[in-house]
Order: sequence, then structure tokens, then C-alpha cells
Amino acid sequence: MSRRRPTKSTRLRLYSAARHLDLKTCIELGLLFPLDVYIQDPLVAENDPKFGFDDGFHVRWEPGIGDGPTSARFAVVDYEGDTGELIPKAVWDADACRFVGLDGKVLDRDNKETWQFHQVNVWALLQNALAFFEGGQGLGRPIPFGFEGNRLIVVPHAGYGRNAFYDRESKSLQFYYFQDDDGRMVYTCQSADIVNHEFGHAVLDGIRPYFFESVLVETAAFHELVGDLTAILILLRNNRFRGAIAEATDGDMAAAEALTHIAEQFGQAVEGNPYLRTALNTYKMSDMADEEGPHRMSEVLTGAMFDILQSLSTFYIEKRGRSPKQGFWDAIQRMHRMAVQPLDLLPPVDATFKDYALAVLRAEQLANPTDPHGFRDLMAGCFGAREILSPEEVEALSEPGYLYDRPTLTVLHDVEDIAHSRAAAYRFLDDNRDRLLIPHSQDVQVADLYTADKLTRQGARLPRQIILQYLWREDVRLEGEQFGDYEGEWTSLLCGGTLVFDDCANLLWWTRKPGTEGGDGKAWKEERAAGEERKGQFLAVLARRIQSGRVGAPLGSSRGLLGSSMPPLTVQKTDGRLRFALAPHLNLCGDVNDDFQGGPGWEVSS
Amino acid sequence: MGSELLIRSYNVGCGDCFYVCIPDEGDGFHMLIDCGSKESARSGVMERSIRHLADEVLPATGDGKKRLDLIVVTHRHEDHIKGFDPRFFHDIAIGHIWLPAAMNKDHPQAAQSVALHGLAETEMRRLAESGAALSPELQDLVGLYGIRNAGAVEALTETLPEKNGIETRYVHAGMRSDALGITIPDTVIHVLGPEEDVDFFYLGKELDDRLRGFQAGPAGATGRTAPQAAEELPTNITGADFRTLQSRLLSNALAFAVDDSSIQNNVSTVLLIEWKGKRLLFVGDAEWDEGFKPGRKNSAWNVMWEKRRDLLGAPIDFLKVGHHGSHNATPWNRHADDDHEVNQIFDAILPRPAEGHSPTARCLVSTKRKQYDTIPDAELLAELGKRSTGTKRYLSELKAADAAFDPHDGVFNYSVMKTYSKPPSPRQVGDHGFLDEPQPRRTDLESAARGASDLSGPAEFVDVLLEA
Repeated sequence: MSRRRPTKSTRLRLYSAARHLDLKTCIELGLLFPLDVYIQDPLVAENDPKFGFDDGFHVRWEPGIGDGPTSARFAVVDYEGDTGELIPKAVWDADACRFVGLDGKVLDRDNKETWQFHQVNVWALLQNALAFFEGGQGLGRPIPFGFEGNRLIVVPHAGYGRNAFYDRESKSLQFYYFQDDDGRMVYTCQSADIVNHEFGHAVLDGIRPYFFESVLVETAAFHELVGDLTAILILLRNNRFRGAIAEATDGDMAAAEALTHIAEQFGQAVEGNPYLRTALNTYKMSDMADEEGPHRMSEVLTGAMFDILQSLSTFYIEKRGRSPKQGFWDAIQRMHRMAVQPLDLLPPVDATFKDYALAVLRAEQLANPTDPHGFRDLMAGCFGAREILSPEEVEALSEPGYLYDRPTLTVLHDVEDIAHSRAAAYRFLDDNRDRLLIPHSQDVQVADLYTADKLTRQGARLPRQIILQYLWREDVRLEGEQFGDYEGEWTSLLCGGTLVFDDCANLLWWTRKPGTEGGDGKAWKEERAAGEERKGQFLAVLARRIQSGRVGAPLGSSRGLLGSSMPPLTVQKTDGRLRFALAPHLNLCGDVNDDFQGGPGWEVSS
Repeated sequence: MGSELLIRSYNVGCGDCFYVCIPDEGDGFHMLIDCGSKESARSGVMERSIRHLADEVLPATGDGKKRLDLIVVTHRHEDHIKGFDPRFFHDIAIGHIWLPAAMNKDHPQAAQSVALHGLAETEMRRLAESGAALSPELQDLVGLYGIRNAGAVEALTETLPEKNGIETRYVHAGMRSDALGITIPDTVIHVLGPEEDVDFFYLGKELDDRLRGFQAGPAGATGRTAPQAAEELPTNITGADFRTLQSRLLSNALAFAVDDSSIQNNVSTVLLIEWKGKRLLFVGDAEWDEGFKPGRKNSAWNVMWEKRRDLLGAPIDFLKVGHHGSHNATPWNRHADDDHEVNQIFDAILPRPAEGHSPTARCLVSTKRKQYDTIPDAELLAELGKRSTGTKRYLSELKAADAAFDPHDGVFNYSVMKTYSKPPSPRQVGDHGFLDEPQPRRTDLESAARGASDLSGPAEFVDVLLEA
């Protein structure tokens, strides 16, 4: 029996109510439409057809879908940089709700070799990844991007090379292609791992745009963690893949050999991008004391998160009697929420692994206050084992306490007023500078303000969250020869905090990155001391990175960049002050930026 | 004919134009190693140098011409070949022309290197024609592939050989002058570089794979490369966003050109001239790096140390300082590790004299201060000054020639007075702190000390004489 499609106007009306409908209903009503998308990539599909196309893959319909594909948040622009050619776009057949190629045929697995299929594949993966973050199990709110505008430009065939990266400056995700050792052309836009990893950078840049200004290797490493976690968690959400892992490991996530075997199979096409393999490690923070490579450093935190996933899986299977497959699924679902929701609790600047660990534990406490199964202790133990949290911090976290307090404020504001606008939020901050430890001399700004509707694992609603990020720039002069060419210049120590309220004005979370200025009194004194410590670390790290030639500007032209000249940190002068910025993390195989040595590494051999 | 061997470096700005006269019982053996400059053609500096050579130096053949026994081209960069204009050589009879094997487009073991160069040349010319905005450093890169270079290659491979009834010889390591049909009494010219298997030694597998992959892609398949003359604009983003996007894509064209430019230096013809027990080394722009590894993109000095140590690994009497005094063209003791390969090469060819002894080797640098911020490397020249004789302290001469001479002027030096946790880069050092240090004779400062403020006057040159 054929089902009648809803008319365009009916679909529009249904669309406005889609968030109240469950998955099955959305599919039935055509608010989710099916697309052929690789579970992983073409090579994995070739090696094992059961890991070929994701038969249950659906993309949410939206009114603005168009050729490209183009949608509300993504514009696929298939510009091939080497040839200067604009590849013809996949065409949206709005009536049939499908994309067609140049020959008018549907862009499905039968046309998988066409570049138009690639365009649709990468767009569909990104739509799915966006939903992963925006859904209630994720951040529970629409996500902004870190650039001016709302559409991320996606370039599926940017040119030849082993590369894929997010570039804020051009508002783009760029995917390159390369020939592997067997002579096959590997398109990075076809790899779900790569697409999801790079999109993770874009998401984090959207929700915490000032992380890009951090000079700390740890903050750059945190960016890599989010990319890797995105790739891992989305992959593990795939039923077939999860089933295969459960089968191979008999539910024992610690069965590293089996997992590694699968991970390697999945990493073949994109060697050097072994997300799952890098998760299986035993690194601690002390192993990374002098590490300059963000990706290597990120493995400590990726490893800790994987430890938690393993422990959860074991718990569900052994303590709750779940089958390996079901226990694994329970662990993944919980992990999705546990890993993504805390991103809203991060400070606005200079995030460290410890900041994230504390955010993860707090988010878990908010979602699961009674914690009958001791998940928080389990998680804190994993962070402690990796030295992300000290033994004292782990112990302190296990102390019983109130779930939350009402903040002590000088001037009370209605939380709805605070949430109303940035200007209103500013007045709240300004009225309470002393209580919030914001120096009176600083022009504090609201970095972001939003509300979020998050869900628990079972789909229950958490109280609405009002999240307020604020920051200020404390002037810092770079004094001393250790700053090389930048000696004598002014730059900024970014300071600020994140406040999270619920809709009853309870303070759910407050995290800060203090500066060195402020008033008197015990709280201020401690705050300034912490600020001095931050400033010292900022200057030391910056000097080290300048001296090792890791700060500069890439060479380029209006027709492209010289990748080998890209330092890990770029610099530009804004309002008379230097602003440093993380460069796009180039390359899939090895860490070119991480190993960038600067100095006379590049010059014209004339 | 005297008994001394003459090495003359014409001051052509940033470039090489070396004349060597090996004495014999007749009127000597005359050779020209390179003839190029970064100066514009309009400057006339190349023509004046060649005319000076022809009119004042070379012997007559008896039929109204002058005789030049051998032209050696080290590599194809403009600052080494741009002066090979047939008009400058119209009255010069040329006996032999040697080019490096890497310039032979039919050499099977250089096929990929030649292809890389062709690709880089095409891309850089298109980039130049497009009027694309470039980082200043990249303007030099694009400049390497100017149309005049192609004219010089044509002159060296077609016009001049035809006119002189000779064939251009493509030389590689292991060859020597006698086997190449040149007999000079008491003299052998050894070719130490490039190795015959150019692609294996200097291109390397990674770049070879990348090039093959690129060629297998649409750019190679269609021969259509960016930038196009008329561009279509996407319809789902703005033109401004599209232009930004174009500027932020990774450019294979630039990457290949950078690779090619360093390969061209590393496939320089390197000559060891043995003359009456003396050893003279002419290295073109050969570079060094961390060490030889089979299958990688190796640098010339490391390959020579690996393959030609029997000839290279002993003290020399003369060094044509490579690449206009660049930090990476003379293996020297920048490494803290004394056992590093680069240090070993340096100590082998230019050992520091023992206590109480003076160095005997001579060095000569053809360079131009301020052309690049990293060339010449002042620390390198100062180190060479400790290991060679015939050196100069230029500061007083420069001040005598020009009372207003300011050693700081125009030099990219911000930090010479500072201390660093690691050796500062040449960019950080500059040379104003080193002008009063003994250093080898150099073309730019010799002319400046003579009061020649630019290259518009009569041909300027620096001579080194070696006794048997």
C-alpha cells in the first residue's frame, strides 16, 4: 500500500510541530527522509559489505533545503581548488524529497562514484552530526557557529592532499582527497570519522569561540578531544557497528585486542586518523608535561572518556544483566549525554582538561543527583587515574553536599530578565561585580547568553538552563627578549566566567578564569592570586611557543595557502593588541602543525 | 700565462657568475660557472659582466672570436642562468656546455623531477598572470619561474650548442672531465652532484607519490589548473565568501613550487676541481639538512657525504660559498651535536686550524646584502672567516667609502643583543653585528667598499688567486 505524501503546506505545518513528534512518526510523515550514507567510508564498505551503507539513515526535512545541497546550517560548495572548477551541484527534487545528479538519477548507492553523491553524503553526515549536538541528549539548543554567519561552507573536493580541516576564517570545512598506496583515490569527505571530527571543531568553536584565542596547548588539545569524541560517539551510535563490537568483545569493552582490530579496519582508509585506537591508551597528564602537540596531548582525555565508557558498559552488562549489545547501547547513550552536555559548563576561555572533568561530573550530578549506582565516583576515579584531577580533588568530589545553592548577590535580578538579552545580562553582571569577582576597572562583556532544554538519558526533561558567559581582556605587555619579535607589544589575558542558572534562579554552575585585578578582601585576594598564576602560565607558554617558532602568519595568496608555512598559532593585531589564534589543524597523517618547528624551516630556495 | 689559478666572481647582485682560469703552458683553460642574477634585465649587469669577460679576459681564437672552453650551469634558477642570452655570447666560441642531469627532460631517472618542475613552472606563471595577491615571500617564489628563465634554458640547450657545433652534456656525479672529452694538464674536474638517479635521491617517495596522486586526479587528467580566466561563482554563498574561501584553500601549486625550488638547488652541478694538488669546490646552491635517508627528499650535501665521501671528505683549498651565503647551503657547525653529519662535513672540508696555525683555504661569496633577510647568514660567514684565509673586516672600509654608512640600515635585525635559549634564526641575527668580524671576500661589500653604490657602473668583480 503506498502512503500518500503530505502536501507542501501540510509538511510545513507538521514541521513546526516536529520537535514534539517521535522518530517513527517523523519518518512516517516525511519529516525525516532516508538517504544512502556510508556507515564509515567506501573502503570499509568494500572490505565488509555489512558495514557499507547505513540503511536506517534519515535526515530531518527542513523548508530551506536546496541544491548543493544547501540547508539552514550548511552550504556545500564543491570548488576544486587545484583545477579552479566549480563542480555541478546535486539538485534537490523538493517534490520527491531527494537529491538527483546531473543525469536526473537519484543520488543513492547506485551512483556512489559521482561527486554529486559525495556532496550529498557529506551534507547528510553533517546534518546528522548537528542533530547529535543540538538534540536534548546533547546541548538541547540550536548551536551558533564561531564566525559571522550561520551557514558552514562545506567543500567536499577542495583539492589533492591528505587533509581535512575546519577553517573559521573562510567559514568552511575543507575536505581533500588523495591516492592511497594501492592507487585508490580516497575522498576524505566520504569518511564519517573525518567529517564528524572536523565538525566537532566547528561546534566547539561555535559554543566557545574564544578557545581559538588561547595560547595553551591544552586548550588546543581540548579542541582535538571534541573532534575525536564526536567521531567516536557518532560511530558507536551506529547499530551495526555497535553490534559488531559487542559481538567481537562479548561486551567486554576492555577487550582491547578485539576493539583495536575493528578500529584498525575502520582506520584503514584514513591512516593516521585512528580515533578508536587513540582512545585505547594509558597516558597520564604527567606524560605530557612538555608536549607541544595538541593531538597527542588530547589522548589523555580521550583515554579517560573511553575508560568511563568501558566502565559503564561493564556495569550495564554485569550489574544490570543486559546483553552485550544492549549494555553497550545503554553505555553509549549515557556517554552521549555525559560527554556533550558538560560543554555548556565550560569557562569561556582557556579550557583545560580539569575544567572539562569538573563540568562532566557536575552535569552528571545535575542529571542524576542521587546517583544510586555511584557513577560519579566511577567517573572521578577515571579522571584521577589519568591525573586530570588530583587525589584530593577526587576525594573532595565524593563528599556529600547540597545539589545547588542560590547565589549570594548584591543586586537581585529576575533570572528571566537576565535571560532576556545580553544588555540585561550585562546589567546583572555589573550590579554584582564584587560578588562575581569581576574587576570594576574592566569592561566586561557578555560573550554569549542562551537557554537550553536538556534531557536525561531516559528522555526526561531537565530544568531549563540559562547559560551566561562573560569575559574581559586584561592588558598584558610582552616584556623581555623571550618574546622575540613581539617584545614590547601588548596582548590580552582573556578572563571571565560561565554562570548557569536553572529557571528557578538556582545557580547550577559557576566557573571562572580570573585576572590579576580586583578589590580587597579574602575572596578577591584568592581570585587575584589565581589570576597571577594564570598570567604567569600564559606568558611562559607564549614565550615558549614564540621561541620554538610556533607563532606567526601563514604564507599565501588570494588563490590559496602554503600549508607547510602554517604555524600552530597565528597572530594579528586588533585594536593595537596582538591576538593569537589557533591555526586550522592541518593533515590527517602525523601532526604537521604539532611538529612545526618554525625558524628557517621554510624559505624560498632561489 | 701565469702559474696561478684565477677564480673571479663578477658582482651581479644576488646571483652567480664565476670565471675560472686554469693555467697551462698555453693561454689557459677558461670556464664560466653560471651566469645569472636577480637583477632586472634592464640593469645590464649581466651583459656588462660577459662583455668584460669577452673583451678583457678571454683569449682570441684567431677568427675574431674569443674562446670560452667550458660553460657549467649548476641549476636552472634565474640567479644562475638568466644571463645566458645568446646576444651576450655572439662573439664567444664555446667549447663545452655542461648542465646537471636533472635538467635533461629525457633523463629517465629525472622524469618525475622534470614533471614537478614543469608543473610548478606552469602554475607559478598562471598565478603571476592572474594578478593574484601574494605574501611578499611568495613573490620571490613566483619570480623564480619567469619567462626569461625559459629563454636561458633554450639558449643553453639549443641556440648556443647549435651555434658552436657542440652538444650540451648533462652531467652527474661520478663523471669527470677527461671522460667528458676535456683534457687539462695537471687537472681533473670531478662531478660530485647530482647523482644520476635524480628522482630517488632528491625527489623522494613521499613527494613522488604526492605528485603521482595529483596527476591522477582531475588536475592531472584534465590539464586544467587554477586559476581560470573567467570564474563561475557559486550560487549558494556570496562572492565575498567565495573569494575568502579560495584564499584559504591549501594550494598544491605553491606547495609543489616550494618543493621544486629546493630540489633545483639540490640538483646543482657540484664540481671538485683537482689542480696540482689543490682542491677547489664549486657547489652551486646545494643545500643540507638533517641527514641522508634512502627514499626521502634528500639534500645535496647529505647525498654527497653518503655517496662521494671519498672525494668530498678531505680539506679543500677553495670553496665557492653556496647559495649566496645562505644558512643551509654550507654545512656548518650550527648543531650543538659535534657528531652531527653536517658538522662532520664542515670539519672535513674546512677544518679549524690547530692552535698556532693559520687556515690556508680560501672562500668566495657572491651575494647581495638586503636581497633577502636570511641571506647571507652573518654567523656563517664569520665562522667561515675563522676557517679560511684572505678574509676581511669590512666595517672600516665601508665607513671609509661612505661616511654615512649605517650597518643597521635595512637589515632585518631586531635582536642581535639578546640571548636565546636556542640559536637565533638568521632572520633574527642580521649582519650588522658581524661586519667587523673577519669574513670571506664577498662581491657586494667589495664593490661597496670601492664606492660602487649600485651595479650601474663598469663590471665589478672579486678575484682569488691560487698558487700551485
